[in-house]
Amino acid sequence: MGAVLRSEWYKLRKSKMLPIIVAGPLIAVIIGAMFNYDSMEGGFNQWSLAVLSMNLTYALLFLPLITGVLASSICRYEHQAGGWKQLLALPVRRGNVFISKYVLLLLLVFLIQLLYLGAIYIVGIINGFTDPFPLEIIWKSILGGWLATFPLVALQLWMSIIFKSFAAPFAVNVIFTLPTILAVNSERFGPFYPWAQPFSMMYIGGNAEDVFFVPWDQVLTVVGGSFILFFLGGYIYFQRKPI
Amino acid sequence: MISMMQTDFLKIKRKGFWFLTFLGPIGVVALQMVNYGVRKEYLLQQSENDWLYYLQNITAFTPLALVLGIAIFTSFMASIENETNAWKQLIALPVSKMTVYLSKFTMLACLLFISSILLMLFTLGFGVFLSFDEAIPWLELVKYSFYPYFAALPVLALQLWIATVSKNQGIPITTGIFGVIFAYSAHIIPDWMIWKWPSLMNQWDEPLINVLLGLGVGCLLYVVGMLDFTRRDVL
Amino acid sequence: MEYIVKTSNLSKHFGKEVAVEGLNMNIKKGDIYGFLGPNGAGKTTTIRMLLGLMKPASGSIHIFGQDIKQHRKNILARVGSLVENPSYYPHLTAYENLEALRKIIGVPKKRIYEVVETVRLTEVADKKVKGFSLGMKQRLGIAMSLLNQPQLLILDEPMNGLDPSGIIEIRELIKRLPEEFGITVLVSSHLLSEIDQMATTVGIVTKGKMIFQDSIEAMRTLAGHTISIQVNHAEQAWRLLLAKGMKVEHENDFITLQESSNEMVAETVRLLVQANLSIYRVEEEKRSLEDIFLSMTREDSAV
Repeated sequence: MGAVLRSEWYKLRKSKMLPIIVAGPLIAVIIGAMFNYDSMEGGFNQWSLAVLSMNLTYALLFLPLITGVLASSICRYEHQAGGWKQLLALPVRRGNVFISKYVLLLLLVFLIQLLYLGAIYIVGIINGFTDPFPLEIIWKSILGGWLATFPLVALQLWMSIIFKSFAAPFAVNVIFTLPTILAVNSERFGPFYPWAQPFSMMYIGGNAEDVFFVPWDQVLTVVGGSFILFFLGGYIYFQRKPI
Repeated sequence: MISMMQTDFLKIKRKGFWFLTFLGPIGVVALQMVNYGVRKEYLLQQSENDWLYYLQNITAFTPLALVLGIAIFTSFMASIENETNAWKQLIALPVSKMTVYLSKFTMLACLLFISSILLMLFTLGFGVFLSFDEAIPWLELVKYSFYPYFAALPVLALQLWIATVSKNQGIPITTGIFGVIFAYSAHIIPDWMIWKWPSLMNQWDEPLINVLLGLGVGCLLYVVGMLDFTRRDVL
Repeated sequence: MEYIVKTSNLSKHFGKEVAVEGLNMNIKKGDIYGFLGPNGAGKTTTIRMLLGLMKPASGSIHIFGQDIKQHRKNILARVGSLVENPSYYPHLTAYENLEALRKIIGVPKKRIYEVVETVRLTEVADKKVKGFSLGMKQRLGIAMSLLNQPQLLILDEPMNGLDPSGIIEIRELIKRLPEEFGITVLVSSHLLSEIDQMATTVGIVTKGKMIFQDSIEAMRTLAGHTISIQVNHAEQAWRLLLAKGMKVEHENDFITLQESSNEMVAETVRLLVQANLSIYRVEEEKRSLEDIFLSMTREDSAV
């Protein structure tokens, strides 16, 4: 298992796709730097304000969409020149290959989240924030957002194993991600829409009584439920996929 | 050129291009169906002119669907040629490389134009269903359906360029994600960024400027992309 | 002489790596030109330049007497090609793949049925290419290359992925083309035996340079043979024959004659018998074309 994971990491590292993980934080800095903080007065913590404005694009669009690109990237070289058949002809379990790819994707998303944390800090320095850094709140947001991508990553890995092209899994991703813009505005639908969870769990204006910014039962049912559905779907599909 | 395009249309068979051409406008209108289905009363209170307000709601999503649709179409089309490196066969035919490139651009522009027509029809259909008090604002309807299309031509030219010269389709798709984020942030990004244009916003509040810019810069980016495409060796 | 294909000092490099250098290729009308060389010698790069897929760094290419730079479309209208692995659209049927091409080159529809028949794919023409075997895909590639009734056919490693009966079939097809349709064929391969069985002219390329170009007969005469004789006292025999002014060498139990005419062999045997030496074996050793090919490509120069 460890060996498979190391091999996956090696292949990814050599594929020159790693620069895309700085894409999100980069765009967050751009958006964060453009935002006019002076227009918002009224006792808000400057950091919180910056995070709120940056999350609007980062958690709503970038994070769900980039999971698809990452998933397609780590399946790309397998589709290209018969990589699947070579990989699966090795003495490794198919299940382990799937889990390794999944774990690697989760680690990459976590790395992106950490870089995003860095991006928030850079935006603060650029704008010369003087307020105290709300570390606890931001950690909650970073970790929560990561957790919320678990089901999305699983679905995208599944789609990327089915389709050879980047465009097809991306189309699926887009179809589910765009409605998020409306869903997060709805108190009735937002909590149940899996693609809205990264935004909800990163939304630092949310209910802070629980560990995360959304109630535990929502984390367990919506994130957990869709995770089980998509992960098992992909896992079983991969087990049965004729190579 | 005509025969080249017939060939390109033949190649996209069974690949879901037509499905996406329909799905884009349906999706944009369907989001408003849900929106109005859930909170019609609230939305009707938001404005004096319900028809125009409805159109503006639709137009909030049109640029996003356009930018993402363009990224998907261009990358999809490039992967069809990349899959068995059919470029080498295509370019070894007695047609100029410019024709090959123009044909692809024109085909995608056609598909997107069909999407825009459908968007107008679906918007009209659901608008009539909602039975607003005002008369149908035909001129605005046509503007909101087709202006974003023309304003998005530079994005099409850019994405086609990136998709055709990239071996790794992760690059154009990532560019597409950047594009949609810019399009979504249209209200805060500067006027010169091409992703802002489909939103029809600008400092003069004159949507026609975006259309003209779209056509002009679209042509320019198209020519640059085509020249780069013809210059490159086919591996 | 009028050549169908003529390149002068053709060169191409990728960064610092030289792929093709100063290559002069001459192909006569009606030839089956065997383009031979180890993998990575520059065959495919040369072919890509002939098809206008790549621009040469320097040198010129004339096909049908016209410069490819100025008359690319004109030339390509009369050329059919299959470069490396066949290119096709897996989600389309064999028929649709050919139709996609036909629309561009504008030949009548019946031409599709003809080429499908030629490569024997008629029965599966309405199946998606996705499910084809390697050999069937290869045949589809050849069908595509024949679709425009080319005067010059360029096939890069066409036997790839074919089973023995497929190889024979395609070989027979290639051999028929010049006679029946007046097509000139350029066929590349890294296998000499393959070229030996169909080519009329051979060009050998290694490390981007043409090291041999002539008729297949000229190549075969390079495969001259030697006679080796096994005797009980080889050194004694060698001294004896040297003393008689003959060109011989010896190694272990064998002595080797450079000349192999009947008279010379008879004379040698007679001398050895007279000297009371026991002759165990008299063997004719042919230098195989493979040997020549290997030694040429190793030393970069003609033997």
